[in-house]
Amino acid sequence: METLNDAAPKLRLRGVRKEFVLPRTGERTVALEEIDLDVKRGEFLCIVGPSGCGKTTILNMIAGLTAPTGGSLEIDGKPIDGPGAERGVVFQDYALFPWKTVWENIEFGPRYRKGSALAKSQRDERVRHFIDLVALNGAENKYPYELSGGMRQRCAFARALANDPDVLLMDEPFAALDAQTRVILQEELLRIWGETGARDERRTVVFITHGIDEAVFLANRIVVMGSHPGRIREIKTVDLPRPRKPEMRASAAFQELVEHIWQLIRDEAYAATVKA
Amino acid sequence: MTRVISSSLLRAAVLPVGLLVLWQLVVMFGTPSRRAPMPTHVVEAAWALIGSGDLPLALIQSFGRVLAGFAWAAALALVLGALMGTYRAVDRSLDPLVESFRSIAPIALLPLAILWFGTGTPAAAFIVGYAAFFPMIVNTIHGVKSVDPQLIRAARTLGVDRLTILRTVVLPGALPYIFVGARLALGVAWTSIIAAELAVGAKAGGGGTGGIGQMMFVFYAYSVDLNGIIVCMISVGVVALVIDRGLRRLEQWMLPWKR
Ligand SMILES: Nc1ncnc2c1ncn2[C@@H]1O[C@H](COP(=O)(O)OP(=O)(O)OP(=O)(O)O)[C@@H](O)[C@H]1O
Ligand SMILES: [Mg+2]
Repeated sequence: METLNDAAPKLRLRGVRKEFVLPRTGERTVALEEIDLDVKRGEFLCIVGPSGCGKTTILNMIAGLTAPTGGSLEIDGKPIDGPGAERGVVFQDYALFPWKTVWENIEFGPRYRKGSALAKSQRDERVRHFIDLVALNGAENKYPYELSGGMRQRCAFARALANDPDVLLMDEPFAALDAQTRVILQEELLRIWGETGARDERRTVVFITHGIDEAVFLANRIVVMGSHPGRIREIKTVDLPRPRKPEMRASAAFQELVEHIWQLIRDEAYAATVKA
Repeated sequence: MTRVISSSLLRAAVLPVGLLVLWQLVVMFGTPSRRAPMPTHVVEAAWALIGSGDLPLALIQSFGRVLAGFAWAAALALVLGALMGTYRAVDRSLDPLVESFRSIAPIALLPLAILWFGTGTPAAAFIVGYAAFFPMIVNTIHGVKSVDPQLIRAARTLGVDRLTILRTVVLPGALPYIFVGARLALGVAWTSIIAAELAVGAKAGGGGTGGIGQMMFVFYAYSVDLNGIIVCMISVGVVALVIDRGLRRLEQWMLPWKR
């Protein structure tokens, strides 16, 4: 059982609301309503919820890529008013640069970021490390179009990590992977996050997933969202001990949590599917 | 296999060879004028013009002017096109200007060009650049606008500033369109250099260093050598083909990520 420092949240969302206006018709969609959320320093937070409930939209706002229609978002007590290297994003659609090889994609942040770019030798070492980590050896000089979906996803994952962000924002980063690779990368992610290290050196992770067991395996807390309009239904604390072990997936406590969350979103998922 | 190829080649050659023979026969027996060009004389003229070095020199001269005109036009079109593709306000204020000038044929600028720059290379380069500018800028704007915004967002979350994004994301993303623009631009540049030199040559008096257009003008106005004119026409076509193929090669080499 862990306790996290409640005093100073890393991210603070207050009354966040997001409306989209369709340019052609002027029609308004309320994507998110009244989102209140604190993400603690060093916390691993997962977000689950039916398709279209606004998960990506929340992530984009934290990343500083989209402005909220109302409410406020803060990082370390300062308002978020644009993207920054301290908040790394793994995009749902990968967003790899098509004209850059795997190596050059992963190198992009450390090479071009403003103010803190790394020298070539440091950079090479770093890129090498993350290519090994995501097992893309041999594909260094391939272009994204030459990769499989899973390889692209691993490349996008490595690109975000190689930039050494303080906060990792991940939008279904393992969705396109086979089951074995997914399990391996889940454990790697926990290691990179700092599960086995000192607690105050951990990064902060916001991780969107459709896999409820994935969320339970990874998270300190799980945000369960509902749709129409997008909102937070419940925030569930995961009381499993760390470091998490693959065997825990079979435990009664684990299964109980999965079942509980599944109950919570089943009605939502059903409603969303029928409406769509 | 070889038989299939050679027979299809044979069939493809029947029509052009037949037409050439017909042309030769019509001129030899069907026209009173000995000035009318015919294939055998054209080949002789070509041989002489290449042998004396006049034709290669004229082509090189013209090509140099095309490159000069293309260079300034491409540089200007890239900068303006990048600005217009990026900033809506710039686009809205410059677009009407570009669109209205676009409909003025390069040749219509000849009087101005001659008045401003005289009858030498600068005037020709001005005309050529004017012609090359429009396909270049239109494609650059389109290319910049078509860059996937998600890639720009990705670069921003990696902490890269706007100017670096322009260089490392927008420009490479727009490059395929910029290449299309460059190919079209060099094509029209080469077309208009002939016209420009034809007209400019009237005042300059011709000579081997006047470019291919002036060479044609001399054949037309002084020596009345129609065979020579045909040789010039054919070499213009060949150079155009070489330019296009060369750029395609360059494109394949520079855009290996394009399937
Ligand atoms: N740029 C946009 N313009 C208009 N509407 C948008 C835009 N982006 C998202 N939306 C709408 O906002 C809602 C939430 O979208 P979002 O992409 O955040 O959902 P999501 O929870 O990430 O879904 P999924 O699980 O399918 O990825 C949807 O109804 C979507 O149609
Ligand atoms: Mg999404």
